Amino acid sequence: MNRRHALRHIALISGGLALIPSCDFSSDDILTAYEKLKVTTSEKELLGIISDTIIPSGEIRGALEIAVPDFILVMVNDCMEESTQARFMNGLRAFPSFAGKNFSKLSTKEREEKVLEGLHLEGENAPEDQKLNDVNFFLSTTKRLTIQGYMASEYIQTEVIPYSLIPGAYQGKVLIADIQKPRING
Amino acid sequence: MANLNLRSKKERTYQAIVIGSGISGAWAAKEFCDLGVKTLMLERGRNVEHIKDYPTTNKLPYEFEHRGQVPEDIKNENPVISKCYAFREDAMHFFVKDKEHPYVQEKPFDWIRGYQVGGKSLLWARQVQRWSDFDFEGPARDGFAVDWPIRYKDLEKWYSHVEKFAGVSGNRDGLATLPDGEFLPGYELNVVEKYFAEQLKKNYGGERHMISARCAHINGNLDFFAQQGRAQCQNRNLCQRGCPFGGYFSSNSSTIPWALKTGNLTLRPDAVVHSIIYDEEKGKATGVRIIDRLTKEMEEFFADVIFVNAAALNTNAILLNSTSNRFPNGLGNDNGLLGKYVAFHNYRARVSGEYEGFDEYTTAGGRPTSGYFPRFRNVYKQETDFLRGYAAGFSAGRGARANTEGVGLELKNNLLNPDQYGPWYVGSHMMGETIPKESNYVALDPNLKDEWGMPQLKISVDYDDNDEKMVKDYIEQMTEMFTKAGFTNIRSSDSKQAPGLDIHEMGGVRMGKDPKTSLLNANHQLHAVPNVYVTDGASMTSTSTQNPSLTYMAFAARAAHHAVAESKK
Repeated sequence: MNRRHALRHIALISGGLALIPSCDFSSDDILTAYEKLKVTTSEKELLGIISDTIIPSGEIRGALEIAVPDFILVMVNDCMEESTQARFMNGLRAFPSFAGKNFSKLSTKEREEKVLEGLHLEGENAPEDQKLNDVNFFLSTTKRLTIQGYMASEYIQTEVIPYSLIPGAYQGKVLIADIQKPRING
Repeated sequence: MANLNLRSKKERTYQAIVIGSGISGAWAAKEFCDLGVKTLMLERGRNVEHIKDYPTTNKLPYEFEHRGQVPEDIKNENPVISKCYAFREDAMHFFVKDKEHPYVQEKPFDWIRGYQVGGKSLLWARQVQRWSDFDFEGPARDGFAVDWPIRYKDLEKWYSHVEKFAGVSGNRDGLATLPDGEFLPGYELNVVEKYFAEQLKKNYGGERHMISARCAHINGNLDFFAQQGRAQCQNRNLCQRGCPFGGYFSSNSSTIPWALKTGNLTLRPDAVVHSIIYDEEKGKATGVRIIDRLTKEMEEFFADVIFVNAAALNTNAILLNSTSNRFPNGLGNDNGLLGKYVAFHNYRARVSGEYEGFDEYTTAGGRPTSGYFPRFRNVYKQETDFLRGYAAGFSAGRGARANTEGVGLELKNNLLNPDQYGPWYVGSHMMGETIPKESNYVALDPNLKDEWGMPQLKISVDYDDNDEKMVKDYIEQMTEMFTKAGFTNIRSSDSKQAPGLDIHEMGGVRMGKDPKTSLLNANHQLHAVPNVYVTDGASMTSTSTQNPSLTYMAFAARAAHHAVAESKK
């Protein structure tokens, strides 16, 4: 295991609290597990609140409880081009100016409305302001990765909708009405 | 370079040497071992033992850090291999990384390689359709390449031989273009695929067919396959990780362990073949020089007969590098054609669409195959402005998707209860025959070398006008067939992908009747060095429109028996 993997491992079991002293004199510590992003503790906290707004907890756990923000940062850090990473981080950093500094203190409904508002800033609604465009990009990426990380998590795939490596023999003509499953409510 | 042949020559002498442990090499070795021939199989890569060396085979989706996606750094370092559909987080370790094994692209060529015991047999798409005489007679009828020195009747019993052992599932479709074989029960087409097959028969006077593709998966005769330690395919569709059930055929699951069990096989991984040793006095090949992959030391092995099954282009490279006074331009290369007339399969075009019918139905479970169109163009006579034709894959599918609109509890509940069914998806891709040409060639670069001091292979292969016309025709014809079947939202695309990504590169050491125009005779022996056989893709005179591996297996088994019969004369 190399240093980066070791750091990430610690980050995953400690909820991202793998910190090293940083020479950056700005606000707070940089999380070294995602070395390409230079994401800070408070930025990650904000990402956590947003992902938990997208998939909240309830009877079934939500995105934040099962560490989906870590997955999002891993994917952005490892699987995106530099320019895409920059847009994501710009959007994350511009989010407080879009949603207000007290976003985390808003009610669930208010937070959902803000996130939806940001998600709608595309296509015909695309703003002139590059920062707002980046906010939209950040939110749509975060939503996509929240869904992916949540549904393809150990928790969902073992406890909620158990995943089978053996899908069973092929049936080429099955009535949809015959395979409807009991509804799972989160 | 150190040359430490520390062990005595006797210890390094076998009756047969097979270069390469992929699908064709391991078949040759298995046949030799069954016939009591002491065989050395050389493999340039590391050992991969069945099950033990399949590290990802039972991983669940969440156990992959990037859920299957290849990280950007790896993609940037490996632009060629990253284009391959199977180069994903679960199977990256079975592919050659660009940097480790450089080659020269005189023209763009995506060379996809698997350097390990079992080679690409771990990774192949497992489609196994037989050739017919419509294929073998192609070059003679249409006046390209040279006439194949064999016909279907020469290969028929060997197709049966390898099918029975490898395990091939399929239906007896009774098509002249695609002879039936020794089949285990076939896999079912789904309701839309069956509908499409019926539509084709109706709309094209019974001349166009879409069948369930024959595939190298075990779907019956289980007691027989238990002798190989293999079991029923579980429809996992995770084949590229290596199958813990041995549900599909690979060298690793089948022929290699079988050959090892006879006690006649010595498997030597990490043996990068340098060249074949030619003895000018004896007038034959006497052995193989290797460079140990790890120590970089050279060692020599000896045998009466040598099979070259290093995968099509590397077989060319080995022969080109096997120079002597007698063969200054490569072993058996008296006519200067070694490395030339390389061809491949054209996979550029796709057509997709939707079908609104059978709306109340979907599919369940998994299957390891899909639909297949045998070639229908220019079969009985020349009828288009291009030579030959194409086969095509076809599949239809449908699945429940979740409504992903909005955020919050409603989104969460929708995600956990996917219940949205769009129309059926229908899709097809082409697999076109390309015409071998002298100008499509491979050669050794005179200057550049790899880590083992071996000359880098220079590849110069391209499409031609015939291929362009064929792409156009495939798109037109498939669009018409889709339209007549009532499919909607029909879209076509031409990826313009470089040759190579099809992973069906062939030729360079072609078979033929005349030593002046070919390298190998009807028994796969080099015309000029009859104790050297080539039975992999390098031996292909033309490419036709079947996935080629089954034919290589039949070639290897047939040639091994020929070599043993020769040795008894």
